[in-house]
Formats: sequence, structure tokens, C-alpha cells
Amino acid sequence: MEIPAELAARIDEAITHYPVSKRSAVLPVLHLLQEHFRFISEEAVAWTAAKLGLEPIKVLEVVTFYPGFRQEAPGKVHIRVCRTLACAMAGSYEVMNKFCEVANIDRSHTSHHHPIAKSDDGKFSIEFVECLASCGSAPVCLVEDDLHERLTTENLGDVLAKY
Amino acid sequence: MSEDISQLTAFIDGEPYFFKNGETVLNVVDRHHGRGHVPTLCDAPQLKPYGACRVCSVEVAMQADGPRRVVASCHTPISAGMHIFTESPKVRRLRKNIVELVLTDHPLDCLTCEVSGNCELQTVAAKVGIRGVRYPAGANHLDRPKDHSHPYMTSELSKCINCSRCVRACDEIQGQFVLSMHGRGFNAKIIKGLDQSFADSSCVSCGACAQACPTSAISDKFFSKSIEATKKTRTVCTYCGVGCNLTVATKGNEVLSIQAPVDAEVNHAHTCLKGRFAFKFYNHKDRLRKPLIRQADGGFKEATWDEAYDHIVTNLKRIIADNGPQAVAGISSARCTNEENYLMQKFIRHVIGTNNIDCCARVCHSPTAWGMQKSFGTGAATNSFEDIEFTKCILVTGANPTEGHPVTGARLKQAVMKGTPLIVIDPRRIEIVPYAKYHLQLRPGTNVALLNMFARCILDAGLVKKDFIEKRCENWAEFEAGLRKLDLDELEKITGVNKELVRAAAIEYASAEAAMSFHGLGVTEHEQGAKTVMLISNLAMMTGNIGRPGVGVNPLRGQNNVQGAADMGCQPHQGAGYFEMNDLDVQKRYSEFYGTQTPSEPGWKIPQMFDNAIAGKLKALWLMGEDVVQTDPDAHHVRHAMDSLEFLVVQEIFMTETAKYADVILPASSFLEKSGTFTNAERRVQRVNATVKPLEGTKPDGQIMCEILQRFGFPQPDYTPDGVLAEIAQIVPFFKGATWENLGEQGLQWPIKEGGVDTQIMHLEQFSRGKGHFHYFDWKESNELVTNGKEFPFILTTGRILEHYNCGTMTRRTGNEQIVSKDLLAINPVDAKAKSINTGDTVKLFSARGEVELEANVTDEVKPGILYTTFHFPEAMVNNVTGQGCDADTLCPEYKVVAADVVRVNA
Repeated sequence: MEIPAELAARIDEAITHYPVSKRSAVLPVLHLLQEHFRFISEEAVAWTAAKLGLEPIKVLEVVTFYPGFRQEAPGKVHIRVCRTLACAMAGSYEVMNKFCEVANIDRSHTSHHHPIAKSDDGKFSIEFVECLASCGSAPVCLVEDDLHERLTTENLGDVLAKY
Repeated sequence: MSEDISQLTAFIDGEPYFFKNGETVLNVVDRHHGRGHVPTLCDAPQLKPYGACRVCSVEVAMQADGPRRVVASCHTPISAGMHIFTESPKVRRLRKNIVELVLTDHPLDCLTCEVSGNCELQTVAAKVGIRGVRYPAGANHLDRPKDHSHPYMTSELSKCINCSRCVRACDEIQGQFVLSMHGRGFNAKIIKGLDQSFADSSCVSCGACAQACPTSAISDKFFSKSIEATKKTRTVCTYCGVGCNLTVATKGNEVLSIQAPVDAEVNHAHTCLKGRFAFKFYNHKDRLRKPLIRQADGGFKEATWDEAYDHIVTNLKRIIADNGPQAVAGISSARCTNEENYLMQKFIRHVIGTNNIDCCARVCHSPTAWGMQKSFGTGAATNSFEDIEFTKCILVTGANPTEGHPVTGARLKQAVMKGTPLIVIDPRRIEIVPYAKYHLQLRPGTNVALLNMFARCILDAGLVKKDFIEKRCENWAEFEAGLRKLDLDELEKITGVNKELVRAAAIEYASAEAAMSFHGLGVTEHEQGAKTVMLISNLAMMTGNIGRPGVGVNPLRGQNNVQGAADMGCQPHQGAGYFEMNDLDVQKRYSEFYGTQTPSEPGWKIPQMFDNAIAGKLKALWLMGEDVVQTDPDAHHVRHAMDSLEFLVVQEIFMTETAKYADVILPASSFLEKSGTFTNAERRVQRVNATVKPLEGTKPDGQIMCEILQRFGFPQPDYTPDGVLAEIAQIVPFFKGATWENLGEQGLQWPIKEGGVDTQIMHLEQFSRGKGHFHYFDWKESNELVTNGKEFPFILTTGRILEHYNCGTMTRRTGNEQIVSKDLLAINPVDAKAKSINTGDTVKLFSARGEVELEANVTDEVKPGILYTTFHFPEAMVNNVTGQGCDADTLCPEYKVVAADVVRVNA
């Protein structure tokens, strides 16, 4: 695992925000690593632990606690579909099914510890997530970091076509 | 200022109750109603409050009939005027429901579970009145696999209730961070390492998690939480000088398992894997069970005790008659009790009639005892382990506490993780170094140079406590003058440590409100060992770090009773109670006390005994539990000495490398089979209680000594631990107030005054010698390196590992052997590359004395030019390589600096 200089500098800067306990810097460091590598590998866990002078288990427990940290590589385009109440009521499960159909993704093998499903060609990956804070325009999803609102089974094709 | 009692009163179930600031609701309820009245699951006395399970919920109101709130009592601070309701219908319903929910995901196989009858979940379920689980069967984790990969630790996580007690034990007690909670919610589970097995994880098998687990989710191979035992006996560990208290569970005459008492002041529910698990040597098939007498054909023949005693008495009397008593010597054991050591020196001095008595303190902390006597007047730790909680700076010199003294090491680590700055002076990057603020990685053999730099930097920084020195010390001017003429640049080159780093560390130490120093054999086992001890004492004196909580000079004594062996007089120059044997008044006093003539001729130290054996002056040697061939340096020389003796008596539990040379072997009993006292590194005299009867055919060393005294016609009563302790209290002033009864469960720290008043901190108002004495010494290169350094360019230094103990006769016969089964040679990658050595290669390590073959471990924990290994395995016999260099003042061998070289044997 190679950390580019620019990322290393950002990580070092982030750590300075936590002068009392380096353990508190685990979250920001993991966010930066995930942003760059798209997921947190075992190597990234070990690297973070060494960087902060912690045992690797103290990083792994954080990674496994937050579903927001991915432990496996997503596809080139990662889709996060909201399933919290407003979106669920407004049809996010139908939206999820449609996404899988359009992008050719099989979600049958997903589980609590393996929430991400990928398309056969590896281009798309998808997972359910909790509230994306846009209940008024439910159902919504994030494709990479772009928010798409008022999804319907009809307008999904247009959303995917942009990627 | 007296506290207003009304300000510290709360009401428990309507009754007013006094509490102390800082207590939780549960603390006070436990005191009022007794532990267990309010059920708990995630709470344990050895751990910090956590508040996870909510089973300890109580209702709280700020007025008797005011609105009530449910709180978890374990982590809610109590406050004045609180009304606490421990048994209201609401909390009873709540507790029952919580436990019911826990049981929906717990196998109900209590009848076949190892902890049945001692399971906290079972007890709590019964207490809250569970008669069935109302919830339908649903998703569960009952199929989690068992982990039996480790020689000691086991897990069966289907029985886990996610209370996190094991995780907290690993974090808060051991500080190893092996366990954690993986995932969240219903899927949360305990993992070891990165979701590995116990064997593959970095677990150090201290067993704190197993003891903390309320069920059998984590346990050990000895089922230490089962109720199978019929008896539990409190005793003291036989391994290192920490002196951990143990609770030994037995059934009939068999030891089943060991746990650590929660209330033990020394170890608070903690032990290392040696103390808790490495006890199976005690009834190992290799234990000696019959006295053995050497036959004319060179073999051993089994004998009765009477025959063995007769043979010994005849031969010793003959040798004394022919050569005088100076031809006889004894070496006692720091593994044996105070009583046994006392009796041994009494036998050698007052019955045989020679001062040729020594003990293995000679090869470890004799420079500490001698050096601290010169500086302070008493050769023992100034403070207590408890002071680690109060100190503001920790200095560790030449000690590897997490491996050599694991329970104290863990305590140091905990203090450091809470923010106490740590300075480590050690040639290796030992386990505790990543936690240290400063690591002064000096070249072996340069302690004096480094500590002189350290002191000079304190002087330069203006941090010398002049008022303390003026009031309580002497000879400062000479020390100061010595420091003033030092050239720091030159010392930087000698030690290999940057002077600015030394300066920063010195300022940290000297400016701390209270700084506490610990040291080990990395200080003493050098040519300038005693001098280094005196320099450490100087540091404490010049900064006023003496006579208060959290300060002082604290040797980490290597063996369970090495402090006691010296206290009892097992050194040639000082008798029981440290009286100088060349003092005529002392001789007179001893003569009157024992009714025999006290010898006046100076005695020999262990290395002198070997030399005199080879020279033909020493004819007979009596060893009590000491394997000199494997553990003393230059094994060829020691073997030659053993061969040269006319008569060698060995009291042992196993056939050691040394016992093979004996003329008579007396089978002794192990610590689990005898009673007496051990004195730990903080001067704490603690009761050792027999947990089982002596193994058939063996006798406790104390009884052997009493019987041999009787055979020599001395009016010695039969052995009783309280009887011998009473005799010791008459002759050893600092044991004056010690009786078997008043030592109690926690022991007493000497000096023990009349009435059993003991001493946690020494040298309070003045030093025991009056004024603390400063000594100045110049650094001198070790003679070993001057003589052999050119031909053998590496410096070899030796030490111990966590899993094994010294010559390993005990630990090698336990499950520890499955964890570590060989000595490894640590070599820096730079040197390894130059010598084409890879990790796992067999290498030949050789010096001017001899050679051994070892497996290489390429690691940057040692600097280039430095080699490191341990000496636990007779297959390797590392002491074939070590030399005869020794501390100039005490003859403590220089195990830490050996000119050596290394070459690869095969790939």
C-alpha cells in the first residue's frame, strides 16, 4: 500500500486536531484512506494502527462498527441507496431491485458483514445505507458522491447513464 | 477541614448510609447489602465501571417520594440525598427481562458446562427469578466454533454475553489489546487479534480475560472457574520477584488450577502465564522422588533418606577433619523460602563453621544490595509497587519489565498509557519502548557513561535539589566535581546516544514532581554494576526523589525470594540481618545466639568457590536448588569446578545439569508443597502455604535442613514455618515484629516493627545509614571488550523472555514449552546481510570461551554490532559463550557484555 505524499500530508494534518489522544484520530484517518483507496483493506488497518501507535485491533473494531467503512473494494461506480423510513416508504426497495436489474447485480449473497454487491463486469456496486438526510426528496441515493433525488424505477436508467 | 457528614449521606432502601466521594451507587449498595444483592453481569471488581448490561439497574430519586429514574448503579456516581431503591417492582421486572433477552442467545447446557455452579449468568438468572424464556427462538449465535488452539487459553463464544469484561481485562489489566468487539448490534462478537485464534493472536496468556469472563466463553485448559476443587489455598508465586498472590485450587492431593485473588495488594487479580498456568511441573514424571547416591561405577543408586543423610554426614565430617571447615561451602536458593535460606546459612556458618555461604543474588542483584547499602544504608527497594499510581515520571534502566516482571510491567504500561512519561535506558528496543517518551539506546557496557551524562545534564539545567542534598546527603562536592569535568561529546561517542536526547530525558526526570526509578540486571550484570546502582541512587538523591510516595530507587528483583535470601544472611560477608561478619561484636552476638563458635575467616563468593574448587581448596559443596552449570557464566569453567569437587550435595526437584555432577541428590518439594515466607522486590514478606502434601519421597528444603542440623548434633527443633520465622524475628532486626499470624494474607513490608507495623516507603526522614552518600565514578571500558573485542567484534548481551524462567527446569516442563521451545539469537538486519544470515537460519555463536548453535532472528530491536539471546534451554547452553568478567565490587558476572562473533551454519 503506497500513500501518496499529498494524502500523507492530509493525514498528518488531521492527526494534529487530536493532541490528547491519538486514538481519537482513527476515524478521520480512516475516512481519508477510504476516500483515496475506496475501501479499508487489512493493510490500511495495520498502517493506521502503526501510524497512531495503536494495536491493529483498536482500528479494526472501529472499521467493523461503522457500516460506512467498506472492508472490500467496491465497483468503479459505487451506489448507496437509502433505506431509512422516508425512503423505504417512498419505494427505495423497488429502486434497489431496479438498479440491480439494470446494472446486472446479484444481491443474494450480501449479509451484515458483506453488504456490497457488484455487477459482473465490476463497473457498478451497490449497497443499502441509512439516512442520507434528504427525506423531503425521497427516495434518494448517492452515486459516488452525487446525490440523486426522487428516484423512480423509470428514471434510474438516466441516472446510471451519466456514469 | 472535616467533611459535613450530611453532605455525604444517601438513602438505600429508606435507610441513611454514609458514602465517600468518588463512589458509585453500586459501591455503596454492595457495602450496605453485600455484593450480589444487586445483580451484575458486566461489572467486575478488578475492572472499571462500564454500564453495558444494565442488569444492575436501580431506581433513584432525589426526594423520598419524588419522581424516580432508572439508572445503571455500576457507573452512576452517588450523591448526597439520593434515595436508591434496589428492589422496586419496576427494576425487578427490568432485570428479569434483560437476563431473559441475554438467554435467548445463550446455550442452556448448564449441566455439562465447566463453570456450572460458578457461572455469574447462572447465578444472576436464578436471582432474578427466570423460569423460562418468553421470547420465541430466533436468530442466534449458538453455532460459533470453539477455539482450543492455545496450550492454555480456550474460547467458546457461543456462551459470550457481550459484556466486554474480557476486552477490558486485556486493556485495563494486561494492556495487550488482543481482544475487542467486532461489528455492532446483534452481530457484535468478541475477536482475538485480527479475528484469529488464541494461538495465532498476540495473546501473552496472562489469563486475566478468562478470570474476568462471567461465563465460560473465555476460559482455560485447567477449568479454573469450575467448582470441582475441594480446597482453595492462598499462596505466593514461585517465579519472579513481583510476588504475586495465587489462589490454588486442589482436589485431594492434586493441583487443578490457579487464579489470582482480586484483593491481593501486589497483583490485583493479575498474574502472568508462568504464575497462573506454568504449574504442571510440580508432579511431572521427571521429578526426583528418591535420594540418590553416586556409586563407584559412576551411576546413581536410589537410597533411603537415612542412608543419604549418613553418607553426607560421614563425608562432610571427614572432609572437615582433613581440611578444616573452609573446605566446605554452600549455595542456597533464591527460589526457596526465607526459613529455608535462614536454616541453610545457619547450618553452613554455625554447624559446619565457615562463611562460605552464598546465593544466586550473587549472579543477579548483589551489586544492587551492595551499591544501595553504600548509598542509602539498605540494599532494597525504597518504595512499593503501589507507588506506580502516584509517580509523575518513570525511569527504567536495564530492565525488561513486561517480560521479566510481567505484572509490574503491565502496571507500568498502564501508568504510562494514562500519561506518566517513561524513560527507558536499554540497549534493546524492548516491548515497553513504543510507550516511552525517551529511549536511550546505549551500547552495552556504557551504563556509567550514560548515567554520568544524565546527571551532568541535570546539573547543567539547574535542577539539582540543593536543600535536600544539604539536609540529607554527604559527599556532593566530590560528585559535582566529577560531573563538571565530564566531556559530553566524548560520552556521546562512547554510549552512542545523542547528548540532547539524554538532556531532554534528564530534564524530564529531574523536573517531575515525583520520579520513580526501576532497574534490573541490565544494570547489575556488568563490570561496573554496583557503580551503576550507586549512580542511579545519586540521581534520586540529587533530585530529592527519596522518602515520598512515587519516588525512589526500585530494583526489580529477579527471583521470588532473592531479596529474602540476602536478608537471611546467604552471603559470605553478611549474616542474617545484614550484620558484617568481620565485626567481632557481631560474631559474639551470633555465637551467643546459636551456642556455637561463629566463623571469623572471610567466606567465598560463588565465583571464588568455583576457582577454589579447581585449585583444590574447596572439597565439598552443598547446593540447595541452584543449577550453576546452566545458569552461571562460562559453563566449561563451572563444569571443571564441579568435577574437581570431592563431594557435591544437591537438593533439587529435577535432575538438572548441575545435579548430574552430584554425589548425593536429595529430592526436594516444590513451592506448591511447602510452607514458609517469600520476600518480594518491595520488601513484602508474604506467607507461602502448602497447597498439597509433598510429592511422595520428597521433603521440603526446610525439613531437610532441620534434619541435617539434627544429624550434626545441633539442637534444632523439627521444621515449622512459624517456628523458624519466630527464630528469625529474634535475630534479624527488621523482622522483629513479624509473626506467622500478623503477616496476614497481604504480608508485611520490612522493616517490620514490633506489633507488626510495616514500612511502605523507606528513608522517610533520614537514610538508614544516616546521610545519603554520593559516589562519583568514571566510566571504564569492560575488560572483556578490551581483551577480546578485536577478535570477536560483536557485543552479545543476554536476558530472559516472558515464557521461560532461568534454567527452565520448571517452565520447560509445562505448556510454556509449546509456546516457546528454543533460544533465539537477535541480530540487526545490517549485520545479518553482511553475514548472509536470514531469520530461521542456524548460526554458530562463539567467543573466547566456546561456541553454541542457535536459530537466528533478524530484527532491528538490536542496533548493528549487538547480539542478544536468552539462556533458558540446555540444548543451546548459551553460557558456554559467556565469560568470567564480573562486577569489580561484588563479583556479579558480566552476562550483559560478551565479545562474540557469529557465522551462518546452514541455510
